[in-house]
Amino acid sequence: MLAIDVQNVFKSFEQFAVLTDFSLKVTTGQVYGLLGPNAAGKSTLMHMMLGFLSPNKGTIRLLGSDDLERVRSRIGYIPERLQYHLRYTGREYLRYLGQFNDMRGSRLEERIADELRAVDLLSAADRLLSTYSKGMLQRLGIAQSLLTEPEMLLIDEPTSGLDPAGQRELLELLGHLRSRGHTIFLATHYLDEIEYLCDQVGILFDGKLATEVDVAALRVPGGSVTLTVGSMNPEIILRLQRLSPAIRCNGYDIVIQPNTTVLQEQVLHTLLDEHIPIISLEPQNRPLEELYMRVVRREPLHTDKLLTEAEPKSLPNGTAEPVYTTDTAKETKVSGEFDTTQIATTTLLPGRPKKGETLLRDLLRKEDQNNDSRQDQE
Amino acid sequence: MRVFHFVLFTLTEYIRSGRILVEIIAAAAAFYIFFLRYTVQADYFFSTAGVLVLILTFYTTSVILGLGDRPQGYVLLVRKLGRSGYLLGLYLAAFIVEMGFYGVISLATALLNPAVDLDIRGWVLGTIPLALNVALLGALLMLLTPIVLTASWRLVILAVVALAFSGNLIGGPILNVLWEPIRVALDVSRTIFSTPLLPAFTGFSLSVTRDYSNFNIAIPFAQLSLTLSLIALSMYAFSKRDIIFSSS
Repeated sequence: MLAIDVQNVFKSFEQFAVLTDFSLKVTTGQVYGLLGPNAAGKSTLMHMMLGFLSPNKGTIRLLGSDDLERVRSRIGYIPERLQYHLRYTGREYLRYLGQFNDMRGSRLEERIADELRAVDLLSAADRLLSTYSKGMLQRLGIAQSLLTEPEMLLIDEPTSGLDPAGQRELLELLGHLRSRGHTIFLATHYLDEIEYLCDQVGILFDGKLATEVDVAALRVPGGSVTLTVGSMNPEIILRLQRLSPAIRCNGYDIVIQPNTTVLQEQVLHTLLDEHIPIISLEPQNRPLEELYMRVVRREPLHTDKLLTEAEPKSLPNGTAEPVYTTDTAKETKVSGEFDTTQIATTTLLPGRPKKGETLLRDLLRKEDQNNDSRQDQE
Repeated sequence: MRVFHFVLFTLTEYIRSGRILVEIIAAAAAFYIFFLRYTVQADYFFSTAGVLVLILTFYTTSVILGLGDRPQGYVLLVRKLGRSGYLLGLYLAAFIVEMGFYGVISLATALLNPAVDLDIRGWVLGTIPLALNVALLGALLMLLTPIVLTASWRLVILAVVALAFSGNLIGGPILNVLWEPIRVALDVSRTIFSTPLLPAFTGFSLSVTRDYSNFNIAIPFAQLSLTLSLIALSMYAFSKRDIIFSSS
């Protein structure tokens, strides 16, 4: 069943066209991210879905109904920019919002306590919202959106204006929402929010859905990763370079290009085995960013030839070389061509989880566990 | 019940924001200046209090409707409260504050310098048309607020009101020099557009005289009908237009 069905919507303000022939479908239970530059029309689209704005042309159906006024009570909305009334305590505010939805009595109080607990605000429930930090306010936003146990959540720029710690905290909370089975529609201009949370991403540009792809399909290796390490002796450098011609050592940097999960794991294992300190691991490619940049630069796309990783085959000298296959059967809506092998060098935003960090953390955790068990045995 | 809760919500915010101090100070000053130092007659009380509360209505209604014209309103509008409940709640909250101002002045006068010819019954009879005039002005201001009507429609309404009141500016000798068809058109327009203002003026008069004999009993009904019409028109306009709150 379609949770969101937007068909050929046009919206303009005075003479300025914001959306032109925009169409979008989101299935129930999906987490969909709408990516677009500032002022692309993401909030306008969301406000049209909520019935605040009317399209000049086209239709919008939510949860199977085109009566947006009526269906609105089945939708939770988290607005951009912490737009809440600050002269109430957290509990009072949620109580009023519940009452505006005909909730009352012990049921309402239970729901308020449950949602405040879920966003870790129960201890601050009786403090005025004006004393809350931005992160706390955004968490309150999540609590208010879930108060009525909606079927679908519309989230507008959730981490806008938050510091890196607040962003990370909020992303983790939103990550938990996935497990609650809501359909989530997220509008943002942060790529890592999409990568972290969404099943599918659409890029809104020039008033249209320029392209739409599965986020999983964008999580392909290729490109390169740079590890910055402590000092290595020549023997270790030689060992690393024997692993694959894709590995190049340059002073304190180890570049793996093209990168694969297996190759990266082998390098990390070697470094950990030799007790070489790993200072950083920086991915040098982000297919989503590349895709986005191509859209906004109006360059050709090629999303029907997304690359998928295969196991590295062994070379005669015992090293491994990555081999890629092409999945041409992928069903993606494209308006051009995108080649994931041409990947730009990027720098990730501070405070956000970086690709490769998880693997590194897992390896370090395994090392710790091994050390602990060794010590236990001794 | 949703609207009732929203009225409480709005009043709570209005009080906690400290804006209510304006009404409290105004009530204290008005009582001291107009009602404490003179021997108060019933006619004087209703005419003076009637004008004061109408002046305050301009301020309070504008401020409270302004509170509703903020991006914070989006979170409320996604509830079952809806657009009509939202607008009606703001209007009622403003009306309560305005009548609270009038109530404080009435109570202070009754306790500290009672009107010599006014009993409870007379106060109620004078208060009904006065309150309906406050409701009527509040409804007109609500219709003219930016969240309800677009700028062009507000200009049209203001032009109509200006035309209705134009008798003081364009009359007598000026009217006589106008080309006859224009003069007739102006006269007809004035008659048509000033008719809706009749309940307001006669209501003010009824408040002062408290004379409900003959057809005067119809005046409060006319005030009420006009008020409800303006509220309905505001709610209709608000339900049909795009909602773009200020600074959003």
